[in-house]
Amino acid sequence: MTDLVGDPAIVLAGVRKSYGRTLAVRNLSLEVPRGELFAFLGPNGAGKTTTIKMIVGLLRPDEGYVRVCGLAIGSNGVAAKARLAYVPDQPFIYDKLTGREFLYFVAEMFGITTQHRDRKLNTLIRRLDIGEFLDHLTESYSHGMKQKVVLAAALLHEPAVLVVDEPMVGLDPRTVRSVKDLFTEHTRGGGTVFMSTHTLEIAETLADRIGIIHRGELIAVGTLNQLKTQARREHSLEDVFLQLTEVGDEGVSDG
Amino acid sequence: MDENPALDAAGAKLGLLFAVRGQTVANRITQAVRDAPLRLAAAVLLIGLIWMGLYGLFRLVFVQLSRTPLEATVAIPLVFNFFFVAMLALLTFSNAIIAYGALFGKAESPYLLTLPIAPLDVVTFKYLECLVLSSWSLILLGLPMMFAMAATSEEPMFYLFFLAFFLAFIPIPGAIGLLLAWGVARFFPRRATRAVTLATALALVVVIVTALRSMQPGETATEVWLRAFLTRMSFVQSAMLPNNWVAAGIDHALHGQFPVSFRYLGVTLANAFFLSWIAVRLVSGYFDGAYDRASSGRGGGRRLAAEASGGPAGWVFFYLPLPLRLIAAKDLRTFFRDPAQWSQLTILFGLLVLYLTNMPTLRLEFSASGWFLFIPFLNLCAVSLILATFTCRFVFPLMSLEGQKLWLMGVLPLPRGRVLLAKFAFSMTVTVLVAVGAMSLAAFMLNLDMVWTAIHLVVTMSICFGLCGFSVGIGARLPMFGQNNVARIASGLGGTTNLLASVALVAIVLTGVGLATWQSKYLAANTLPDARSLILCAVAALVAIVAGVMALRVGAKHFNRVEV
Repeated sequence: MTDLVGDPAIVLAGVRKSYGRTLAVRNLSLEVPRGELFAFLGPNGAGKTTTIKMIVGLLRPDEGYVRVCGLAIGSNGVAAKARLAYVPDQPFIYDKLTGREFLYFVAEMFGITTQHRDRKLNTLIRRLDIGEFLDHLTESYSHGMKQKVVLAAALLHEPAVLVVDEPMVGLDPRTVRSVKDLFTEHTRGGGTVFMSTHTLEIAETLADRIGIIHRGELIAVGTLNQLKTQARREHSLEDVFLQLTEVGDEGVSDG
Repeated sequence: MDENPALDAAGAKLGLLFAVRGQTVANRITQAVRDAPLRLAAAVLLIGLIWMGLYGLFRLVFVQLSRTPLEATVAIPLVFNFFFVAMLALLTFSNAIIAYGALFGKAESPYLLTLPIAPLDVVTFKYLECLVLSSWSLILLGLPMMFAMAATSEEPMFYLFFLAFFLAFIPIPGAIGLLLAWGVARFFPRRATRAVTLATALALVVVIVTALRSMQPGETATEVWLRAFLTRMSFVQSAMLPNNWVAAGIDHALHGQFPVSFRYLGVTLANAFFLSWIAVRLVSGYFDGAYDRASSGRGGGRRLAAEASGGPAGWVFFYLPLPLRLIAAKDLRTFFRDPAQWSQLTILFGLLVLYLTNMPTLRLEFSASGWFLFIPFLNLCAVSLILATFTCRFVFPLMSLEGQKLWLMGVLPLPRGRVLLAKFAFSMTVTVLVAVGAMSLAAFMLNLDMVWTAIHLVVTMSICFGLCGFSVGIGARLPMFGQNNVARIASGLGGTTNLLASVALVAIVLTGVGLATWQSKYLAANTLPDARSLILCAVAALVAIVAGVMALRVGAKHFNRVEV
């Protein structure tokens, strides 16, 4: 796939988004380079999902712009989306398709050849342990089973940028380990993972950099050590997160 | 990564979308044949019966008309004109609703938007799917009409022309509907449901008022009236309207004038293609923006709705013990905050009220003829059927929806069976207030005497009791837990059972009241009905109440031991 190799995987520049009178994201600027696993943290309603939806092209920023691999998601959407994969917190699968039929559909949608699809799919079936139910209709799947199939669909075309919203919810510990390994391998292979999560332990152990959004504002970005320095905390990411978002609260109420 | 260059070809992804939809339909049919063959057979049988019934009805009309060639020449094109103008309105509306859900809903559309597909492919796919989904009713109604028509015609080519006109006509309302759906998402993102509801209500009011105005006082069903009526409705036959092209084309085909018919077919097809092209191009060109506005605009107006419904919800159920009152008040708040519920009830009864208040313009001189009871009886029929529609559509799903929060009910200090009572109290209160109000207005407008007014009100209340009992009881006995979609719950096995039971109950009760009405037809106004009529009405009311109680008991028994 032709790619603008020199450009960062994700660029958000001066992005603002509101829902009616509610300002969900304000003046958000962020660059995520290729090969990085970026963890996006924030309290409920902070603007994480809105930001993710703007990255994948579901929402348009009121101000600013979003680029994926150098391509504007607004004006060059199809080309940008060909380099993207998105796993939402509530995954969508056609309930009257089997998991395998769904994965074949996704493979065809991204133009993957049959040979490559079968090779990649065999690996994913083994790694995510989905072989047992893959030929059943997806309407019979539990949340965790759906999540696994959607993850397989996202990784099938080896996207340059993988955007995931709460990827570990509903997964058993063994699959959580597999997903962690798959994400790490993906970034080692030059891919980028942009992950929103409330599970701080995962962010702490996996992420190259962490961003914290609070009330629509990106209040901190950096490695774990940089965030600890910023928060003047020596302990866990949990302490850092609580300290920074508490300061954010004070800032807002003072303001 | 290896890539398949064939997919870069234009339309390749559109084909893929159709292929995946075809696969889901095939899987659905396989599943239905394997898991519920009886249900499938019953559905096919019912559709067959509906078709046969419609065929019989249309054939009767056309045979009757063909006996008098002069009237047939005037009336048959007129029948088609009215049929297709009605279809134009209905299909535009249903296409708008379906297209809005398909393009701006929360299920498939957001998923497709994250895939590398051009908006033109997505909109084209959704548009064609909407045409199929919305036009099955036209096919259902139209094919029996076509066969009935053909049975009175000797032209074998007629079938082909009729079908061609049908297929050529369908995209016209489809394209208008698509544009309307896009317009609502683009310009009324925060009040989409309300905007569609108000537009529909307004359109219906205009239609009803136009129809009522066409029946001027003093005119009776004579040739003069018919001529005046046709003159007033002549706008329907405007040469600029597609219903006229289709009606004229079919009429010419019926008389073997195929070249003229072909010309009309060409006009219809050209307009259908042109409108579709404009609609799909426009909507796909601005699809991302409209989707963004529809998604960003959701969630407004909640505060006002909460204040408006919070007050009445507290005191309407004053007669219930506190735990039941809380559940019923919660359901009333939900009712007020869901425009789909209150708007449908408002539209149905609003139209009824409009009709009732316009009844004096009809100048029906029934009081002098001894048939003064039949119009109130027909009003009772209308109110009962509207009630049945409402309870089947909105009351029946209540128990299924509650089942998803059964854990909450389980931890409350309240016997589970009493939840049914709260649901029953809620639905009974809403339906009685609305139905008794409408029937009282009907009695007042017709100057109905006190005894018959009282009889109709008691029967109305008993029908409310029976229908609410059925919907809550059967809703608890045959629930569809795990389903959030109210429409799917209402159209499932339990919903269909409830619909059939409700219609049967209404038919039984109305038969009783109808017999009493028939018995009293020669009575003068303000004369007491005889004992037999009173007993018939009392038995009818009692049947409704007993049936409601039995359904509630069956439902409560099952609901007490259900595990989710």
